[in-house]
Formats: sequence, C-alpha cells, structure tokens
Amino acid sequence: MTLLEEIPHKLGSNEAWVEKGGVHWLNASALSVRKLAAVMNELHARFITITAYQLPKEEGFRLEYHWDLDGQLLGFSFALANNSIESIFDLCEAVDWIEREIHEEYSLEFTGREYEPLLLRRGDTSGVNLRDVASIKEKQ
Amino acid sequence: MSYKIPMGPYHPALEEPYKLDMICEGETVIDAKLHIGFNFRGIEHLAETRNHIQVIALMERVCGICSNIHTLTLCRAMEGITGLTPPPRAQYIRVIMAELERLHSHVLWAGIAAKLMGFKTMFMTCFELREKVMDVLQAISGNRVNYSMNRIGGVNRDITDPQAILKMVEALEAEMARTVIPIFTTSRTATSRCAGVGVLTTEKAIALGVVGPVARASGVPQDLRKAAPYAAYAEMEFDVPVQPAGDVRSRLLVRALEIMESCKILRQALAKLPPGEIHTEGEKFAFTTGTATARVEAPRGEVMYSVSWKEGSRNPARVHVRTPTFVVMPAIRWMVKGARLADTPLIQASIDPCYSCTDR
Repeated sequence: MTLLEEIPHKLGSNEAWVEKGGVHWLNASALSVRKLAAVMNELHARFITITAYQLPKEEGFRLEYHWDLDGQLLGFSFALANNSIESIFDLCEAVDWIEREIHEEYSLEFTGREYEPLLLRRGDTSGVNLRDVASIKEKQ
Repeated sequence: MSYKIPMGPYHPALEEPYKLDMICEGETVIDAKLHIGFNFRGIEHLAETRNHIQVIALMERVCGICSNIHTLTLCRAMEGITGLTPPPRAQYIRVIMAELERLHSHVLWAGIAAKLMGFKTMFMTCFELREKVMDVLQAISGNRVNYSMNRIGGVNRDITDPQAILKMVEALEAEMARTVIPIFTTSRTATSRCAGVGVLTTEKAIALGVVGPVARASGVPQDLRKAAPYAAYAEMEFDVPVQPAGDVRSRLLVRALEIMESCKILRQALAKLPPGEIHTEGEKFAFTTGTATARVEAPRGEVMYSVSWKEGSRNPARVHVRTPTFVVMPAIRWMVKGARLADTPLIQASIDPCYSCTDR
C-alpha cells in the first residue's frame, strides 16, 4: 500500500483520491480537520497553505487545505458552518500566519486558538481586505 | 532586566516595511515578535477584476525580483484549467528564464548579505555581476525586471541565438567561480560573521514548513524541481545543495552552490533547446469551471498559485498566492532567539525576505 493509499484508511474514509487540476483530492466532507492534521503529521507530510473561497450569495465559505507528500500535492476541501472551523495550530505550527491571515481577510474564526494582534493591518476591523467591503458595511 | 528594541518598520538595516520587536537582556535577544502588512496591497482581490491577459501583467508585480516565477506559476495554473500544454521549446525557455532569475536573486542577496557583514567591496562585486545577469535577461526578453515572458500555452519571446546567450552565461559562471563562490565559501570574514549565527534546527524547519534555501540550509532536502519537476526540469541534471548546520553560513553556502547549479542547468537547457513553436499558436482555448493549482521552485522556495474560474466568465473567480517568504518569515523569531542584537539584521537578511511578496 502506498502512502497515498494509506491516508483514507487512516482517516477512516471510504473515499477514493481524485486527481484534478494538479492536486490529489480526497472528499473531506465527513472528516475532522484536526484528525486530518494528525494523520498528515504521522506521515511527515509538509503543510503548504489554506485557500479560502467565498461562495456565492449566502452560501458561506469553503477552505481548501494543502499538504505536500513526497512531491505530491494533496487537497482537502471543507465547507464552513457558521463561518468557523477548528484550528489546527496546536498540531501544525506552520499554519499560524495562514490562519491569522484568513481570519483577518475574511473574518473567519479558527476555534480553539488565540490570535495575536492583526497580522495584515493595524485597526479594529478584520475581514475588509479581501471580503466584499459592501457586505461588511451592511453588517456594521 | 529585559527591555524591548523595536526594529522597523523603516530601519537603515531593513530597507523595507516590516517590524521586529525584540525583547533583550543585555546584548542577547530573548524573544521577538514580527509584524508585517504595512503595505498590504490586496492583489488577490484585484486579480478578480482582471481578464486572463491582464491578470498575468498584474501578478508579475507581486514580486520585484522573481516576477517571472509568478507569471510562470500563474500560467501553469491557467493551463491546468484550459487544458493547454506549452510546446517543448517553450518549456526549455521557461527553465532558462527561471534559472537566470534565480541567479539574479541569489547574486543580489549575496551583495546585500555582504553589505550587512561590513564587506562592501564584495557588495560592489555582487552588484556588478547582477548587472551582467540582467543584461542576459534583457537580451532575451527586452526587459530588466518585469520580463513579460510567460503566456497561457507558452512564452512570448524566443531565444533566437542560444550560443550568444550561452557565451554570456559562461562568462558569468567564470566570474562567479573566480570571485563570489571562493569568498563566500572560504573567506574568514564570511565565516567568522556567519558561522553558528541565527540557527534554525532541522526539527524547527520541518515544524514551521519553511521552504527553499532556508529549508535546505537546515538539512531539509526539499526542491520542487526534483520532487515534482515542471517545465523541462525532468530533463536536466543537477544537484540540490543541502547543508545541515542551519546557521547563516549554511544559508550563504546553499545559495552560493545553487548559483553554480543554476549555471549547470542553463548550459544544458541552452545546448539542448529543441526546435519548434514557442506557444500554442492559433489554438483556441476556453476556461472551464474549476480550480487548478501549480507550484514552482522560486529563488526563495516554493510558490503556489490556486486559480479558480467559472466557465464563460471574463475574470478569474479567485487567485490565491502562497509566497515563500510568507512561510519562511515566522522562522526569524526562532533564529534570533539567543542571538546577539548586532547580528539580527544579518540573520533577518539571511532568509532573503521579500516584503513585496508578503504584502501581496
């Protein structure tokens, strides 16, 4: 069994990998992001980044987590409930600035961690850097 | 008794906007906090307002040093969505441009590092060499900084006389082998100023996910040109220099050795440059709905682009850029812990930080 094939097994998932757009994707809808991070640590995969997508209308956000495993790019997509998701900072130190940046750009919460003062800008409003400014103003 | 020393956001030893708050006891740094984002530009958001041609020109401005790498990675991601494959000659030209850019970046960095060491004659030598690299880049692309070489499905300009470029590269290599490499690898000035300074252990480098020469100087043999070859790298023979010590000297050595490896790649690519088209001429393409991701080994390490498009849309739905400095910069906190205050400018410079990439 290759390392790639081991991952769904370790995660307790019956899903198969799908290669698309240069990434090996595994359906992560039923997975815990913390369990995923723990398995990635176990396999010595290198964390790369999280990409945030604002979905149309009121559909919320989607986060794509990427790891590198021996040169293979792995992707896991998570839909966010209530604009929040568990932080993996305590499991993966490399995620620190990336979670903070997404928190500041989109006002998304990574629960279970503390944020240091804003990384990208000084001020009292997060979420105005990339998120639709009009919708932020409306909320305020 | 401890006290706080703020360095930046504008400081003579750090000529870019970034701030390091250091907690010191005597002359020793006990801890540090980093602050970025003083000139955050929101380029990712701006990219959503540009079409597939305009977005290339925009992303070329993410970085002033590795501008070509950004368009290469973006074009590779857009090729993933459109299904276009660049012809072999274009793949070789992409390698040539990428390696010339690596030379430019490493020599520029070597000059700045020399200046911070108090080795000003070396600074002048490095910047003179950098000019020669830029002459080669200009001879190929017509430009010195933003080369406008990459397009979806290939490159914009051909290398019509590879032998002439090869001669320029050989002259450059000889000059580097005569001056920069021996001084940086053997001189007492460089060794005494850099050895044992600003150490990032292998364990910490892995935990922080650092990339590029900083990772390789901490004993992590990671290079996308070998691990996940793109363009024509699979056809090139080269070594990935790795140093285990994790100090400033190791970062200096890795980059010095990489300069020679880049010259080796350039000689091969120019000698084997295949005939044919430089882009997919006349081939119609369309963006399908989906996301594609591409990674490239930039001079400072892995750059990753995720590009999302909706079929029929003029502009991308999302362009996300993960730059190498953004993941390497947090390591500075660990490098300066326990260091002498006077060494901190050199330690920070040793990661070859790009604030332009960070404040993208």
